[in-house]
Amino acid sequence: MYLLNVVGANLRKVAIEMRRYLPNTISMIVTIYAIFLMFFLGIKFIGNPSSAEANTQYMIVTTVMWFLTLMAMQGIGWEITTEATRGTLEQLYMSPVPAWFILFARMLATILLNLVVYAVILLLIMATSSQWLRFDLLTLLPLFFISILGMIGVGFMVAGLALIFKQIQAFLQIAQFIFLAMVAVPIGLSPYLELVPVVRASSMIREAMTSGVSLFDFGANAWLLLSLNAFVYFSLGLLIYKWAETRAMNLGLLGQY
Amino acid sequence: MSTLIELEAISKIYKKRGGKEKVAAVTDLSFEIARGEIVGLLGPNGAGKTTTIKMICGLIRPDEGHVFVNSFDIVRERQKALRSISAVLEGNRNLYWRMTVQENLEYFAGNRGHSARSVRSEINRLIEQFRLESKRHELVNNLSRGMQQKLAIAVAMLAGTEAVLLDEPTLGLDVETGYEVRELLRAIAQEGRTVIISTHDMPVVQDLCERTVIISSGRVLVDDRVSSLMKLFETKAYSVSLAKPLSQMQVTRLKATFAVLSFADDYKSFTVTLEHDEAIYTLMDILRLERTPVEALDRTSIHFEQVFRQLVNGQVKNHQMRESNHVLA
Repeated sequence: MYLLNVVGANLRKVAIEMRRYLPNTISMIVTIYAIFLMFFLGIKFIGNPSSAEANTQYMIVTTVMWFLTLMAMQGIGWEITTEATRGTLEQLYMSPVPAWFILFARMLATILLNLVVYAVILLLIMATSSQWLRFDLLTLLPLFFISILGMIGVGFMVAGLALIFKQIQAFLQIAQFIFLAMVAVPIGLSPYLELVPVVRASSMIREAMTSGVSLFDFGANAWLLLSLNAFVYFSLGLLIYKWAETRAMNLGLLGQY
Repeated sequence: MSTLIELEAISKIYKKRGGKEKVAAVTDLSFEIARGEIVGLLGPNGAGKTTTIKMICGLIRPDEGHVFVNSFDIVRERQKALRSISAVLEGNRNLYWRMTVQENLEYFAGNRGHSARSVRSEINRLIEQFRLESKRHELVNNLSRGMQQKLAIAVAMLAGTEAVLLDEPTLGLDVETGYEVRELLRAIAQEGRTVIISTHDMPVVQDLCERTVIISSGRVLVDDRVSSLMKLFETKAYSVSLAKPLSQMQVTRLKATFAVLSFADDYKSFTVTLEHDEAIYTLMDILRLERTPVEALDRTSIHFEQVFRQLVNGQVKNHQMRESNHVLA
């Protein structure tokens, strides 16, 4: 029960800060919408008209997935950097609840609340492009849940780097384009892509939203590979984070910025 | 009283960035803190206080030795140990500035696994005790530094732990707010909690702490009751007023012979600590060298700051302390 209270507290905190930093939230909506418009107009005026509809749908899901990935994979790293700068990181570490769980709860809260914002953006985008995607919640909910777990795993790896090196902004700026490639590339391109995080998740979400592939249509194999990928990256992320945490404590770097 | 916090021969060495040079922040440090004690952790800048505090909190791992909080090893049983200790480490920086007073209290309680409902009455009590009622829904960003400091302490209190560790609780506060915070700390101490205060504010130590652990160059220099140290120095401190200034030779001789506390700017008066009653004859001999007439010789009251300075500056000889049954590590 006490872990649920941690999640609840972080959900309230994220909601409060989203409200207090309203200009940031609005600017995020505008940015995503502007990037989508750029892609959309590119497809419309430069791309092949015969495949414009499919490409637009592909691009809509990819854009939203990219921002979701950015938030999940960079989020914990940003949180660590911000908390260290503010001076609150050490307070989080003074809790009897493990810091990784507090950060996990923070990330979960951030993603859940931002999904609401993304839903609004998605509606805007769909209205602009007149391309209406399918929303089969029975398929999409487990898909998102498993995908997010893998993304947060990578987020923990980035956070581990942030704990030790602090100045990771330059790395994150480069990483965002790697994340774009990860969500955009179709899983069928190479079997090795199964090893990369998010690629399968992104492909399956795209298929569900554009082609209407349902939960059972994917087959057990696809679900198994998706879950395995997410589980491995989540576990690996946590292991790397715990290693970095121990190292930061040994070097006395935890609260430094 | 049973032991709540135990530091067992802890050492910490840092490697300087970009080089192979190593710095020993703490060396073979050992002391215990009993339940209900109010201890002042003192030391000059760079003495190893912050490292020691952070090792007690489990934020820095010792290279050698162990820290036990409520019998739990802070490294190996960290989460269990942290149920017994909370801390205010960076004062007002320990808070979320874009959240209100109440939201901060609720959030930190939530992170310890408490629901907002279960801590509501305790939050109300603390807000009242810390005189933050009118600021309950104010953003921390808009509070004065003193208010922020009080809130940071309230957050640590809300954790409900047996021990509260406060790093520089009065730093940067004006006289009035500093006094208010000191009164709050006194109230906390009276609740029976174990309080560890790391500070440069000597009146706080003199006023609140029962015991002091003075660290210098990463080692325990003195571990004793504040009242005992005060008594030791008080009974031996004299103020001497002269009819003419001391000569340079007399100043040199006095410095070499006694733990001189301070000279007046014009060298026509000074305070001195005498190791034993017979030392007064030696003092008189030095004054007689230049036929310096003594106008007055009085026992003087002493502030803890003077005691601290003497201890840290090594003006007190080891044998002097040992003869008085005081621990000088």
